[in-house]
Amino acid sequence: MKLTTRVTLRLLLVLVPLLTLWAALFYVAMVDEINDETDDALENYAEWIMRRHLVGEALPSQGDGSNNSYELRSVDAAYVTSHPHLQFRDAEFYIPDKKEYEPARVLTLLFETPDRGWFELQVATPTFERADLQETVLGWIALLMGLLLITGIALTMWVFRRSMTPLYRLLGWLDGYLPGHTTTPVPNDTTIVEFQRLNEATQQMANRAEQLYERQKQFIGNASHELQTPLAVLGNRMEWMLNELQLNEPQMAEVMRLLQTQRHLVRLNRNLLLLTKIDNGQFPESTAVDVVALVKEQREMLDEIYEERGVTCRLILPERFVVQMNESLAVVLVTNLMRNAYLHSADGTVVEVLMEGRQLIVSNDGEQPLDDRRIFERFYQGSKREGSTGLGLALVRAVAEAYGLRVKYAFDEGRHRFSVTWP
Amino acid sequence: MKILIIEDEPSLRELMCRELTREHYVVESAATFFEADAKLAGYRYDCVLLDIMLPDGNGLRLLEMLKAAGRNENVIVISARDSLEDKVLGLELGADDYLPKPFHLMELSARIRSVARRQRGGRREVVLGNVSLDPEGQRVTVGGEPLHLLKKEFRILAYFMQRPNHLIDKTMLAESVWGDHVDQLDSFHFVYGQIKNLRRKLQEAGADIEIQAVYGFGYKLVAQAVEPA
Repeated sequence: MKLTTRVTLRLLLVLVPLLTLWAALFYVAMVDEINDETDDALENYAEWIMRRHLVGEALPSQGDGSNNSYELRSVDAAYVTSHPHLQFRDAEFYIPDKKEYEPARVLTLLFETPDRGWFELQVATPTFERADLQETVLGWIALLMGLLLITGIALTMWVFRRSMTPLYRLLGWLDGYLPGHTTTPVPNDTTIVEFQRLNEATQQMANRAEQLYERQKQFIGNASHELQTPLAVLGNRMEWMLNELQLNEPQMAEVMRLLQTQRHLVRLNRNLLLLTKIDNGQFPESTAVDVVALVKEQREMLDEIYEERGVTCRLILPERFVVQMNESLAVVLVTNLMRNAYLHSADGTVVEVLMEGRQLIVSNDGEQPLDDRRIFERFYQGSKREGSTGLGLALVRAVAEAYGLRVKYAFDEGRHRFSVTWP
Repeated sequence: MKILIIEDEPSLRELMCRELTREHYVVESAATFFEADAKLAGYRYDCVLLDIMLPDGNGLRLLEMLKAAGRNENVIVISARDSLEDKVLGLELGADDYLPKPFHLMELSARIRSVARRQRGGRREVVLGNVSLDPEGQRVTVGGEPLHLLKKEFRILAYFMQRPNHLIDKTMLAESVWGDHVDQLDSFHFVYGQIKNLRRKLQEAGADIEIQAVYGFGYKLVAQAVEPA
């Protein structure tokens, strides 16, 4: 989840209940006030009627357009003692103006005149006005609170984005960062102290990573170079023994085995050097290479070698597929994929090389899937085979990375499928 | 034939000296740029084996100096950096061949012989007994009569003929003819088959060289008369 989204969500989570609570409280207070006002108005009206009645003035007619209505009747002492003298209530009340019953606020008042005994006065005002008012208040509260929420969030996001620009710039730089390739320094044009420090720290880390990467590359390269001469000496001394010293059969067998080990070392060393060179981009020149022709050439050779094991090959290829690549690297890519398939095939099975669009797929029979995250790693071998350097697929990946090709491993229908896709 | 070996690693220098002396060459050696420079200034050689990385200088400088002086020594560049640039640069500067480390001494002898053959002028064939093989023309004759060989058989014979009297084990042979692919095999039936056919063809043509099996390990090409060094 993006930081802005997270911040927005959190703000919403806090602000929505809080603003709702405020709105609710405000609304309750408003309604209370409105009811109070209504009751006050009713009281005044009742007092006014009562006064007029007491001094004997004419009472107002019912239809004076004020929506207020009243009812005055005389009651006996028993009624007075059994009823409250002043009471507000909400009730259905007959409004003569409208000639119907309406929900209304009703004030019932008992009063005594000096000469005519007790009277009960009921004044009523319809509540629809009050309800209207409450609705309007509610609407406005909701609107204002909503606006407040939206502007608050929008402002926060805007300010947040603005302040976080250096962070996003740094992230953009990190996205493009490749050890051994990046030359642009970490952008650091912010005045915010925290971001300045973050940028400086990132730059330091990147420098350090760069140094380590360089040193590691050099180490592998140097180690492999330095090994070449001793390896030559070792091999040649053993060959000398075989040719010049009159060895007997078991002695010769032993030296042969030593030589085999030496050759394995030579191969290992050569492949490590090759990997280093590919990683160092030491194969710059590109030519048009026909991958199909390469596959066919390899197939011929591998068929010959694996004939006795009964491994055969099925090719499903177009006429030609020409790519711009360094020729040696194209050979490394194709041969390693194909010999890997032949090598790990059981006797009598079929290796298939298929070209689908811009994708080359090499597949062979297998019993169980390999670890697809590690299969292209150096020295990772699913099943250890004597004489194998464990660098074949690492070379494939190195070449692919050098040209931005996608290599993938999949296991389906009992077959290992290695694919290379040209963009 | 006089050869100067310029190589700073003592053990390898000693081996190269020993091998080439055994092949009846006159061998001199130098361990440093300075020493090599002095020897080249004072003496003439037929062939110079030049290691590029010397403790006190780049071997390619020596090559440049030789060519600038108009000397006609054959130079085989030896490098631990199996890099195309070294190879291209070396050959551009006028080296006759390029040999990456680690190499077989047999390979070295074969290269020296081939360079020397070219030096002697045009005659490219390797001759052994009554068998003559032209590596570039892909032709073999036995006693003057052409012998028809398949591509792989030819490569095997060429490999043997450039390394007469050397024990060549099947892995080495397979690698040189089929490439690195064979390195992980446990059986070499495909080599046996080819060798069997080759032997039969040589015998039928009446060649006086023979590919002999040495115990179970490998083969050796034996001839009545080895090409003189």
